[in-house]
Amino acid sequence: MSALTDSFRIAWIDMCFIRRNIATVLITCLVTPLLYLAAFGYGLGDGITMDGYDYISFMIPGVVALTTLTACVSSVATKVMLQRTYYQSFDELFLCSMSPSAIVLGKAYAGMARGLISCALLYAMGLLLTPDLHLTPSAVVLIVASCLTYGLLGVASGLLANSHLTLNLFNSLVVLPMTFLCGTVFSLDSLPGAIQDAILILPLTHSTECLRSAMLGTGVPWVSLAAMLIYMAAFYSLSVHLLTRSRR
Amino acid sequence: MKGDTVVSAKGLVKRFGDVTAVDGIDLDIREGEIFGFLGPNGAGKTTTIRMLTMMAPATSGTVEIQGRTVSGLSDPVKERIGIVQQHIALDRDVTVRENIRYHAILHRIPAKEAGRRMEELVGMMGLEPYLDRLVVNLSGGWKRRVAIVCALVHDPSILFLDEPTAGLDTQSRHMLWDLICRLNSDGRTIFITTHYMDEAEELCDRTAIIDHGRTVCIGTPAELMDSVGRWTVEYRDSGTKVCRYFPDWDGAIRFRDSLPAGPGVAIRATSLEDVFLEMTGRDVQATEEVRFRI
Ligand SMILES: Nc1ncnc2c1ncn2[C@@H]1O[C@H](COP(=O)(O)OP(=O)(O)O)[C@@H](O)[C@H]1O
Ligand SMILES: [Mg+2]
Repeated sequence: MSALTDSFRIAWIDMCFIRRNIATVLITCLVTPLLYLAAFGYGLGDGITMDGYDYISFMIPGVVALTTLTACVSSVATKVMLQRTYYQSFDELFLCSMSPSAIVLGKAYAGMARGLISCALLYAMGLLLTPDLHLTPSAVVLIVASCLTYGLLGVASGLLANSHLTLNLFNSLVVLPMTFLCGTVFSLDSLPGAIQDAILILPLTHSTECLRSAMLGTGVPWVSLAAMLIYMAAFYSLSVHLLTRSRR
Repeated sequence: MKGDTVVSAKGLVKRFGDVTAVDGIDLDIREGEIFGFLGPNGAGKTTTIRMLTMMAPATSGTVEIQGRTVSGLSDPVKERIGIVQQHIALDRDVTVRENIRYHAILHRIPAKEAGRRMEELVGMMGLEPYLDRLVVNLSGGWKRRVAIVCALVHDPSILFLDEPTAGLDTQSRHMLWDLICRLNSDGRTIFITTHYMDEAEELCDRTAIIDHGRTVCIGTPAELMDSVGRWTVEYRDSGTKVCRYFPDWDGAIRFRDSLPAGPGVAIRATSLEDVFLEMTGRDVQATEEVRFRI
C-alpha cells in the first residue's frame, strides 16, 4: 500500500509538466493515431468489411490499442533516460526512502496519463462514428492495464538506453513495427501462418485483441488477456531489475 | 550528543571496471562538525559521497549512519541526510517552486509544514522572484541555490555538499560560506568536498586529504599543518621553487639566514596547500594534463 502512495509521490513532478504543457502533449500523442485513422480508415478502408464488421469499427479499437503503446512508451523512455544521464535528477530518487517498485510505477504513470487522455478522446470519437462500438467497463480496465504495461516498457527502455540514438533505434525497430503489424489495422487471418506466429509473440497483438473484443462487446479472448498480464509483470520485473542494477 | 559519530565508513572501496575510484577509505564524522573532504579532481570525492549517501552501492566496505547500517533503498534513515550534488540535479522543464515541492513530497512532509519550510528557505536564499520560473531559464548560481533549498526542505541533520563553490565568483563563494556556517550553527553536521585548500582551512573543523582514492591524512587544519611544520621557508634552488617546513619560528629564521640572499626567499605560515604538497609530493592544482604540458 505504501509503495502505491509513494509511486504517486514520484509521479507528481511529471504530472506538473503534463499539466503545464497539455496542448503540446495532446498534439504529440494524437498525431499518430489520427494519421492511421485518416490513411487506413478513410483512405483505404471505405466500404471494406473486416472480420464481419465495418472497417472503421474494426480499426478504431486497433488505433486505441496502438495509442496505448505510442503515447506511453517513448515519452517515459525519453524522460527516464534524460533524468538519468543528462539532468542526473534520477539519482535524487535514491536519496529518499523510496522502494524500487514505487520508483518504477511512479515513472510509468506519466506515460499512462498521456495514454489515458488520448485513448479517451479516440474512444469518444469512435462512439460517435459507429454504432458497433460500446463503452464497456472491461474496455476501460483494459485500456488502463495496457497503458500501464507500455509505461513500464518505457521505464525499462529508459533505464537501458544511454542516449537519444539508442531510443530512436528502439522506436524504429520495436515500437513502430508493432503499430503496423499487430492486427491494429488489418486482420491477422490474412497473413501466412509463420508470420502470424511471429506476430503472436508481440505484446501489442494481445492488447489489440483484448481491446477489440471489449469495445465491440464480443467474448473475452482469455489467451490474449493472460498474455497481456504476463507482459505487464515482465516489464515491471525487468524495470525493477534494471533500476537496482543501474545504481552505480 | 555533540561529538558522537554520526557517519562512519569502514574500508570503503569502489571500482568501475578496472578503475579503482575509491581505494579503502575509513571515516568518522562527528555530530555538529564541518568535515572537509579535500582532494584534486578525480581523487574520488564524488564517488565517496555517493556511497556515504547510499546513492550508489559500494564495491566493498560499510557505511553506518547514526550507528545503523543502511539496508536497502527504502531505509528511513535516509530521511536524516540531505545532499547537494556536484552536478545540479533538478528537473529543468518545471518551475523552481515545483522542484522544491517535489522534494518535500518525496520526503513525505505534510503540505502545511512543507509550505512553512519552503517559505523560510526561499527567503533565506533570496529565491522569491524566481519561484515561478522554469529551472532551465536560471543561471548556474541560482540553480545551485534551488538545489540547496531542495536538499534542506526535509530538515536533514547531516548535509553533504559536493564542491558547492566550484565555479562560483568570490562574492557568491563567501555568501555560501556564510550560509554553511549558519546551517552548522543550527546544529547540522556538514560534510563538504572541495579542491580549494583555503576553503577547507576557512570552514572546516576537521579535514581529510584524499588522493587517488586513499586518505592521505585526517585532522583539524591546525593539526595537519603542525604535522608538516608550522612555518614554511620558500626559496629557489636553481630556478625551481622549493619549500622547507619548520615546527618553530627560530628554526625557520636560522635556515633562511643560511640561504644566499635573493628574491624569492620568504618565511610564511604553512597552509593546507603545503600539507597536500608535502604529503603527496605534488601540487593540488597540477592535474596530469598540466604536468604533461610543462
Ligand atoms: N560512473 C563511472 N564510471 C567509470 N569511472 C568513474 C565513474 N565515476 C567516477 N569514475 C572515476 O573515478 C575516479 C574518481 O572520480 P570522482 O569521484 O568523480 O572524483 P572527484 O569527485 O574527486 O573529482 C575518476 O578517475 C573517475 O574517472
Ligand atoms: Mg567530484
